Amino acid sequence: MIQITATLIERRSLGAGQELRLRAPALARSLTAGQAVLVQTGCGLAPYLRRVFYPIALDDESWTLRVPADGDWGHAWLRTVAIGATLDCLGSVGNGFSVPAGSRNVLCLGEDAPASVAGPGISAWALLPAIVQAASEGRAVAFALEAALARDLIPSQRLPAAVEYHTAIRPPRIPDRPASPGVGVAQFLPELLPWADVVLAAGSLAFYSELATAVRAVRYELGRGFAQILYPAAFLCGVGACQACVADLATGRHRICQRGPVLDLVDVVGEA
Amino acid sequence: MIELAPHNKHSLALAAPVMAGSGAVGYADAWPPGISATMFGALVTPPVSWRPRRGHSPGRLAETPAGFILTTGDHNPGFRRVMDDHALEWRRLAVPILMALAGSTVEDWDRIAGRLEEEPGVAGLELHVTAGARPVDVANWVGVVRRATTLPLLVKLPSSQAATLAPAAVGAGADALVIGSGPLAAAVRQDGARLTGPLAGPAAFPFTLVGVAAVAELGLSVPIVAGGGICRLEDAQACFRAGAMAIQLRSLLWVDPAAAVRLVEALRG
Ligand code: FES
Repeated sequence: MIQITATLIERRSLGAGQELRLRAPALARSLTAGQAVLVQTGCGLAPYLRRVFYPIALDDESWTLRVPADGDWGHAWLRTVAIGATLDCLGSVGNGFSVPAGSRNVLCLGEDAPASVAGPGISAWALLPAIVQAASEGRAVAFALEAALARDLIPSQRLPAAVEYHTAIRPPRIPDRPASPGVGVAQFLPELLPWADVVLAAGSLAFYSELATAVRAVRYELGRGFAQILYPAAFLCGVGACQACVADLATGRHRICQRGPVLDLVDVVGEA
Repeated sequence: MIELAPHNKHSLALAAPVMAGSGAVGYADAWPPGISATMFGALVTPPVSWRPRRGHSPGRLAETPAGFILTTGDHNPGFRRVMDDHALEWRRLAVPILMALAGSTVEDWDRIAGRLEEEPGVAGLELHVTAGARPVDVANWVGVVRRATTLPLLVKLPSSQAATLAPAAVGAGADALVIGSGPLAAAVRQDGARLTGPLAGPAAFPFTLVGVAAVAELGLSVPIVAGGGICRLEDAQACFRAGAMAIQLRSLLWVDPAAAVRLVEALRG
């Protein structure tokens, strides 16, 4: 992990949210999709806690974060930062997505959900660098995304032309309520799961639980190495000291900044 | 050198006035970027209990204005595992290591303290007194640990009760006082749940400062260490002026390690 000053070089509005492109070569070169960056917001000591972001675009010189259109005070401050201003970044945190060498067909699954449901910084946008990279490596990529509103879907022009894109509108999940079968990306899974060599997913824990159910139904078993998910966690130190980010996984209580944030789906739901 | 145990036969001499507070660098195995042992006069471990503790359930962090609440529930792998995994490395570090005793496990304290007497990797103990303790409790607890070990013993007090509890701690054998853990507070997590625990971060600093000043005015014969929300050079200087001999940094190392480095360098002059 490094602490680095990044310069805001581009701002793009998308709906009420914003994308900020930050020049920080040393960080950008070490980042992969699914790794977190902790960004300082505000002036002085408030807000004190850094905001968690996952890159939505990466190149050799810069990385891009997406500021959601929510009421968070750190996000509100970021939406006002002037071009040319510097932001203090700590990253990268943990392990990102990694497509195994022999995987030809990559299935990416995303859910657009508010941070209160999905977790800090978690959104389907975090899959974009992995999608771009997989497509550039000549792999076949399918991306299925669900959102509550059409305006929250990722525009198709943001994806490489070769990516097969499926979208679905579904009502927001209600935590601890059983999923309605066949809505959202679930409707595509009977066709896409048998085709996929590897799955990369970003969404809420309920979304991952439905994914595990679908994999078991369609492929008859959920084996280690088939699906990687971006696990939601509130990071404070990012280096394993504070124990703020612990989660109860199938194998016990672990610090997500050390074990994740990208985990095998089996680690989350167990083998059974 | 800053002597934190002037009345103890074992010295606890700090080469620098800044300590890494409890768990700030894990068991000296979790280093934020740019942070190294050489910056500190001593390192304090996370609270350790005799048996492993799973600690609080996930969802341990909530933000407050200029601060946060973090409730780990003294999560730790237990004394033996900690010693197996880390004691060798502690012996190699050229900085004193203090083992923190979990405030929630009073019954373990004499057992752990006794075992550490002959451990070369551990230079002393930091006993964490929980909020709501009475002077009689503090006298009992400190007395138990004091009888179990001759090692330097720091006692960390809740900042809002520091002046009330300090005489009992010193009377029972504390070598130094750490002021202290932040006042009990509550905040709402991102998922809407309420989290209760000690206030941390800069929001806790005013409570630290008033606690340090109040204990210093008592004129007790032991060194005072200030810890809790110290983030700026001005905070550290205010603590020294109020009577602290050393300070502890914790959350600053996590949130802005570069600022912690600047603070340490500024204090070195
Ligand atoms: S964020 Fe501190 S231990 Fe994971």
